[in-house]
Amino acid sequence: MNHLSLRALALSAPLALGIAIASTGSGMAQDTFKVGMAVGGMECCEWMKSQGDVARALAAQRGWDYYELSNKGDAPTALKNAGLFIQEDVDVVIQFNGQPSVNPALAQRFGSAGVPVITYDIAEEGMYFVGIDNLAAGLAGGEALGQIVKEKWNCEPDLVISAEGAGAGIVNTWRTGGMRDGLKRVCPDIPEEKWVSFESVGQATVGLPAARDLLAAHPNAKRMAVVGLNDGGVLAAINAAEQLGRADEIIGWGQDGAFITGPNVNPHLAGSVFYFLEGYAVYAFRDVIDHIASGNPPPVKHDAGDPASRVQPCPVSAEQAQNVPGLQERVAMLLEAPAGTTAYDLFCPNK
Amino acid sequence: MAHRPARDLLTGPVASITLALVVVITVGLFSVGPRFLSASNISIIGQFLAIPILVGTCAGFALLAGVVDLSIGSMVGVSAAIFGTLLINGWDVLPAAAATLVVCLAFGGLNAIAIVGFGADAIAATLGMLTALRGITYVVVEHWGVSGSLMAFHPGLFTFMNLSLWSLPLIFILVLLVAAVATLVVIKTRIGRHLKAAGGDERAASRAGISVPRVRTTALLISAFGAGLAGIIFVGQIGAVSRLTGFGLEFQVYAALMIGGYSILRGGVGNPAGGALGFLVIAGATNILDLNAINPYYVNIVIGLLLLAAVWLDRLRGGDSYE
Repeated sequence: MNHLSLRALALSAPLALGIAIASTGSGMAQDTFKVGMAVGGMECCEWMKSQGDVARALAAQRGWDYYELSNKGDAPTALKNAGLFIQEDVDVVIQFNGQPSVNPALAQRFGSAGVPVITYDIAEEGMYFVGIDNLAAGLAGGEALGQIVKEKWNCEPDLVISAEGAGAGIVNTWRTGGMRDGLKRVCPDIPEEKWVSFESVGQATVGLPAARDLLAAHPNAKRMAVVGLNDGGVLAAINAAEQLGRADEIIGWGQDGAFITGPNVNPHLAGSVFYFLEGYAVYAFRDVIDHIASGNPPPVKHDAGDPASRVQPCPVSAEQAQNVPGLQERVAMLLEAPAGTTAYDLFCPNK
Repeated sequence: MAHRPARDLLTGPVASITLALVVVITVGLFSVGPRFLSASNISIIGQFLAIPILVGTCAGFALLAGVVDLSIGSMVGVSAAIFGTLLINGWDVLPAAAATLVVCLAFGGLNAIAIVGFGADAIAATLGMLTALRGITYVVVEHWGVSGSLMAFHPGLFTFMNLSLWSLPLIFILVLLVAAVATLVVIKTRIGRHLKAAGGDERAASRAGISVPRVRTTALLISAFGAGLAGIIFVGQIGAVSRLTGFGLEFQVYAALMIGGYSILRGGVGNPAGGALGFLVIAGATNILDLNAINPYYVNIVIGLLLLAAVWLDRLRGGDSYE
């Protein structure tokens, strides 16, 4: 066995040190414009896959090459993918990166390689920002929930639960904090001790234990309002209340609209703010990539307040959302629509 | 067991993973072409693998000694958080790194006290440590960071992490050297024999005069040291720490170690070369999918199949009886 181990080391060393270092060619030479797409890749969210599907279809419509990798919600993987995109000679990269802490390193790597980057929803200097106004979306959702809290409980809930998603960084601050602020605009006198938070990781299943713990720590709370980073996080609290038999008076309002359509919408999810995340590529192609491909790149606008392309938020009640098609149907309809038509144009009931 | 080279080549714990790597390279060359083994591509893989291989090499000592350390992923997180905090508070790299490693060794010591001193189940004890360290990371990043991220970019460290030697990342070469030295320690020295003896059969090892508690304590400290060092490398490479740093890394590491011939439940099995090769096999397979633009959601299926193959090979070679 010892000899085998040493032999294995001897075999592995040439590999590691580059059996074929001589073949230093990087990506294949190519003339066709090539779009790289780093999807979020977290297993929670079907829309992350759909973002790639729409981008792939739009690239195909233009006769361009398309190269997709998954960031898997992991910073080192996102950095590795940046190397692969550069190696494969993409002309532009779109990314949804749920780990914004790595964005400066990504910007540095792409910047030194001269590859323009479009970032969805999470702003980074040097990258084109395409996305929602997260703070506005948070405020809108919070105000909508505030109206319900005012009507049902006269602005006197026992708890206001925040389903945080710390990994999203400033986006979490804007959305979840914005929802709290929006709710306060309608109900300004809710005492400080009523506001509690838990880490949902933005996922209904992952956040469930922490939500259960939080509810267990407040056994007498009955009238509970839930805000959060996204629908998944808010559902974590609602599901926990259902498991503990305390869901009679819990009301949540989500963000992103991921779980507000279809036949199995949780009855305690009173509404959400649609971003139509699957359709962001329409904005990216229309306002940025088409210009880069034609040799007229627009100025880099990285500020969420003055973005390269702004996605309109669409607050909807659960009742209104019943008339909005499900994710896959929306993707199909979006790709059949005239060029440049956004999902907001097609599906938002409150335009 | 009689020495049968042909059988060993097919079913030996390290030879089989070496063959797997040869298969991956062959498939890569056929499906991707020469750029699969280009310096550029190996550099990308190497930069990514530096942390997992380092963590796996050191955690492998604990596995060999018969204790699984589940706290390695969160140890990377807490190390990165502490190191990053010290950097942004004006510490120089070396004192900050030294202080961080001391803290990580202290956590490793706590693991050892629980497992060796009090006889706690290793999985339960290190799961507790995993949870506690995750909490500490959260608190540290919350306090010193902004919106869940602690920006700790250090130009000198970043430059070092991106140095190349023979067209490959220096950090990758250094980590491979660590794995090679660890392999020699395990298979050629008395320390390695003691490790395997303590993990393989605790009673027999004790009767042979080996201090099993001391061996296991040392192994747990090495495991913590490796994870601590990896956290420092993380800050150097990424320049930032999030509250989720290291989250789930333990699964990635132990999957690769199992594919490389270690056993989670049986001590005394495997060696660092096999573990490093396990990482290379997974990274190579993933890279083939990446370069062929195959749906990234298939990657987990491939890793799962490799794990099943590893289990099958483990049975093929006779499990306990082989060792």
